[in-house]
Amino acid sequence: MNNEGKGDIPSTGVEPEVKSVSVKKRQSFFGERPLPAIEKAPRVLRYRSRRDFLVFGASTLAALAGAGYLLPQDTLTRLGVLQNMNSPAKEWFLNKALRIDDDVAEALYSVNRRVPTYTKSQITPLKNNYNGATPDPGYIPAWKLTLDGLASGLNISLDIRNLLTRFSVHEQITRLVCVEGWSAIAWWAGLRFDDLLRAYPPMSQAKWARVESSVNLDASGNSDPYFMSLDLATASHPQTLLATHFNGQPLTVDHGAPLRLLVPVKLGLKNVKAVTKLTYVAEEPRDYWAERGYSRYDGI
Amino acid sequence: MNHSTSACKTSTSTLPEQPGVLVVRKHHFLVRWSHWLNVAILLGLILSGISIYWASPVYQHKPDPNTGNFDVAADIGIWICAHVPGQHHYSSPSDWIYNHVSLGPGMLALALRLHWLCAYLFMLNGMVYVAGLVRGGGWRSLLPRWTDLLDALKMFRYYVGFPFAKLARRQWLHPRFNTKYNALQRAAYFSVPVAGFLSVATGWAIHKPMQLHWLAALFGGYNAARVWHFWLMWVYILFVVPHVILVFADGWDTSRSMIVGWSARVGRSEVVGNEQ
Repeated sequence: MNNEGKGDIPSTGVEPEVKSVSVKKRQSFFGERPLPAIEKAPRVLRYRSRRDFLVFGASTLAALAGAGYLLPQDTLTRLGVLQNMNSPAKEWFLNKALRIDDDVAEALYSVNRRVPTYTKSQITPLKNNYNGATPDPGYIPAWKLTLDGLASGLNISLDIRNLLTRFSVHEQITRLVCVEGWSAIAWWAGLRFDDLLRAYPPMSQAKWARVESSVNLDASGNSDPYFMSLDLATASHPQTLLATHFNGQPLTVDHGAPLRLLVPVKLGLKNVKAVTKLTYVAEEPRDYWAERGYSRYDGI
Repeated sequence: MNHSTSACKTSTSTLPEQPGVLVVRKHHFLVRWSHWLNVAILLGLILSGISIYWASPVYQHKPDPNTGNFDVAADIGIWICAHVPGQHHYSSPSDWIYNHVSLGPGMLALALRLHWLCAYLFMLNGMVYVAGLVRGGGWRSLLPRWTDLLDALKMFRYYVGFPFAKLARRQWLHPRFNTKYNALQRAAYFSVPVAGFLSVATGWAIHKPMQLHWLAALFGGYNAARVWHFWLMWVYILFVVPHVILVFADGWDTSRSMIVGWSARVGRSEVVGNEQ
């Protein structure tokens, strides 16, 4: 390094002015330092390199095998693996990762933390995202909300007039976030789920609500009841509504008339349309989308 | 990529006769492991990420009257099938992109599971990398300097001119640096962990836009954070291509050092050592 410039390479961390002051301060904390040179017997170097390369090769093979094992069956089929690689162990492992993420979401949740609210000028269109066919509005006149698993042991049925006269109506403009990634800011009004919980307390050991819509249809228009688990901690959040109005008007059939769950701290798929039954239970109930490979807590 | 080494090797002869070989510690054990693990994890994140993107593409247009397609990524696939030889008979042109650069279309639940798994591994691996940088002191070599702007231009000029000089059989000298990395390398190696941090931050912002709404707001809101997250993926892709080419071009010592940790290019450390 014959013409190695000295002044124009501050990266060595050696600053000429400091040189004369103190030997200890010659190297700044952030300055780059020379790579530590070590002396090794060639035999040792060869042996260690061989060991490192063997470990590297074995790890690469293990990583390839692990990745191949975890890939979805459709992907493997496309890659030419025609054998079925699904197994209970694979499902267990991937669901474990999903549950860890759910536990993180649950730890992040706070009943006191409000979600952001927006102004009317920020409202965006909300499409009808019924997964199957949209139900025929014929169910609406006879619609009732049934409550089960109450502390009283009774089975309560309420119609929309009961609900709107007994409970105060709250308005909010919040964002609905879909698991697919899109979102919409919409203006909702309805009663607080928490008010319903206070008026009709669940049995003491209840930790969950099973939220059900019996009018839900599949893509070909056949009955496909929608059921979803909701932890009562989330149900009692002040922004969790049993919404009856959308954009200042009573809900249309597209948006789950006459009453839908609006739970902005959860993914859209938990915001059940046309709720027909709430059942309070001690154990986590089944969940429509969790049975189709999605997470079950879905806190956002 | 320290090309000044060959000139320095002669200076080892000034040292007293020693039975061993002199090597420098280049990459800490934890840095090496996290580097290779990252190859698999990032690949998993990108492939599953594009499968997730399929469910609700960031870039959309009004549905095409003929095909009903609204996804720009699907347009690219349709274009490829129409213009690239051998792809004319592809059965579903709108899925071409997702079939070739993702786990596949229509598997959102599976892709999400793998994305979360890889994302947690990515965060853990990032911590291992930072621990390796701290323990091995390698972080100092990555810090940007004021001289980097000019030096990076010199390196850029060198890389651009290199093929032409080779063709013209002209001598084309590598700019001299006595640091572990040249300015362009340093910019790249510094950007990747920064991008990693931003990917994690934007990932949390779109994963938990309610509980972490302040984080989403930091990136301009939920929708903007999704756009950030998408383009940060391109940082890795745009990094990896020249990275792999240049590492192989630089020689066996460079590739080997990321596996064994040491480098036989001891020149620089001696020069700096002599200066002290």
